Amino acid sequence: MSDIRLEGVTKRYGTFAAADQVDLSVTQGEFVTILGPSGSGKTTLLSLIAGLNRPTSGRIFIGGRDVTNATAQERNIGLVFQSYALFPHMTVLENVLFPLGVRKIGGAEADRLARDALKLVRLDGLEARRPSQLSGGQQQRVALARAVVFKPDILLLDEPLGALDRKLREELQVELKQLQRTLGVTTLLVTHDQEEALSLSDRIMVLDKGRTQQVAAPAEAYLKPANRFVAEFLGIANFVDLPDGRNGVVRPERVRFTAEGQGRPARVVEAIYLGQMVRYHLALDGNQSVVAAVPFLGTAHAPGERVSVSWESADVWPVT
Amino acid sequence: MSREAIGGSAWTRRGLAAMGIFGLVFLTVPLVIVIPMSFSSARALTFPPPSLSLRWYETFFGDPRWMEAMWTSTFVAAISSVAALILGGLAAYGLRRGTFKGRDWAEGNFMAPLIVPTIIVAIALYLALAKVGLLGSLLGLVVAHTLLNVPLVMMVLGVAIREFDQRIEQVAWSLGASWGYTMRKVVLPNLAPSVFAAWIFAFIGSFDEVIVTSFIAGKYETVPKKMFNELVLEVNPTITAVATLLIAFTVLALAAVAFVLGRAGKLKETVV
Repeated sequence: MSDIRLEGVTKRYGTFAAADQVDLSVTQGEFVTILGPSGSGKTTLLSLIAGLNRPTSGRIFIGGRDVTNATAQERNIGLVFQSYALFPHMTVLENVLFPLGVRKIGGAEADRLARDALKLVRLDGLEARRPSQLSGGQQQRVALARAVVFKPDILLLDEPLGALDRKLREELQVELKQLQRTLGVTTLLVTHDQEEALSLSDRIMVLDKGRTQQVAAPAEAYLKPANRFVAEFLGIANFVDLPDGRNGVVRPERVRFTAEGQGRPARVVEAIYLGQMVRYHLALDGNQSVVAAVPFLGTAHAPGERVSVSWESADVWPVT
Repeated sequence: MSREAIGGSAWTRRGLAAMGIFGLVFLTVPLVIVIPMSFSSARALTFPPPSLSLRWYETFFGDPRWMEAMWTSTFVAAISSVAALILGGLAAYGLRRGTFKGRDWAEGNFMAPLIVPTIIVAIALYLALAKVGLLGSLLGLVVAHTLLNVPLVMMVLGVAIREFDQRIEQVAWSLGASWGYTMRKVVLPNLAPSVFAAWIFAFIGSFDEVIVTSFIAGKYETVPKKMFNELVLEVNPTITAVATLLIAFTVLALAAVAFVLGRAGKLKETVV
């Protein structure tokens, strides 16, 4: 059963189409990420699903119900923004109680539900704090608790970790994934961060200029990109010529160093040490450049050094 | 940052300081003179006062016509400031949050009373109120003052609404809260300091208004209108007492605004 379904959703501003004939089907309990650069229309799409905006044409279904013309209030959606959007004048507990109060759930039951939700995001003990007294990560956890406490049909996350620093972001990614699994709530995440998309999602929808480029599982989208845009947007793409004249993409970790005379000769332009990996920018003979990523095992090639590289033809995915 | 970076050369800075001090003196001298004069025992406006007394305050509070003007002013200010607050607040919200066509035109129209010379607004209101039979009525006065103060309210609340993250409202809607509920429970509690400031500005704006009032008030006397008329008829120290009371009231009201906004500002600092 599909929990979120978009059918030809289009949003035009004048002649500009922020979303252009977008189709998407998300099944119950699935975690799908809408990935795209800024201006790709991903936030427009999210606001259409949340009911903050109306599509110019197309239909939106949530839980089999046509909500195209329903208000945001009628959609039963948990919404989390990058800016947290907590109610500044309320305590943590009051923030989480808010959707319950709206649903006329009060007293001991509301209190129990709110405290359970806060425990789920590991914020028990901070109920009486105000948002201004919390760190960014804690504020985002409150926003998550508030978004799930009323058992929404779906969870919409708009760049939820974008305002946090890297380490915290990675921690929260793990927590977010666990939370989503525990609750089994159908989740749609919007982000421009390809790493986040790859690590969190069951499937990714890559969006560019308001149009769907590819909908696939992370590994598939990465290794078998539907087109040049997807190849370049997800990680680093080496474009190589195929025997049949088409273009193919090889990922950097598929590029191997070989003994001299066996592969293609190249010159090291730059060697970037990344901890567990070294990334080489290589100039092949014939004015072509290739990026290789190899595990760092104590020694590395220096810039200027002559090397030989090769890749399996099976690792080349043809793109248009 | 070096001091040079702020104000240029030493001479430029001194020149600016001198001009600032001159401006301040120019603005405050009338107040400094009027206040002691109101406590004068002299029968005419003399400075410095020969000796101190409260006779002009007694005259003011003992004069039923002054008291009636006071009542009219207070009544008109109270009703029109609340009306301006509600209408201006809704307009500011609609203009800040809305994306409809002709928004700039609508905003320009609302702000017009602040930009168009008051005398022109006065004449326009005179003709318009005459046409609908409200000229010289208390209701007409309230309508006119409301119209004049809507732009003030819109300016104060417009800034506050713009600074309030719209996503907070959107989240409230998504959580199931109606527009009205969101307004009452989320938006207004956070905008309360600005709402208070806007209301005070509107109240003072109405209480101080003299040009439009002179045109349309008919037999009704407001405090500033009566002050002007008294000055024209005879130079009477009572108006210095009234002026001192008005200055005290305004200073207290603005101090209250500064206090409330200052507290809100501190609150905001901790949020960011």
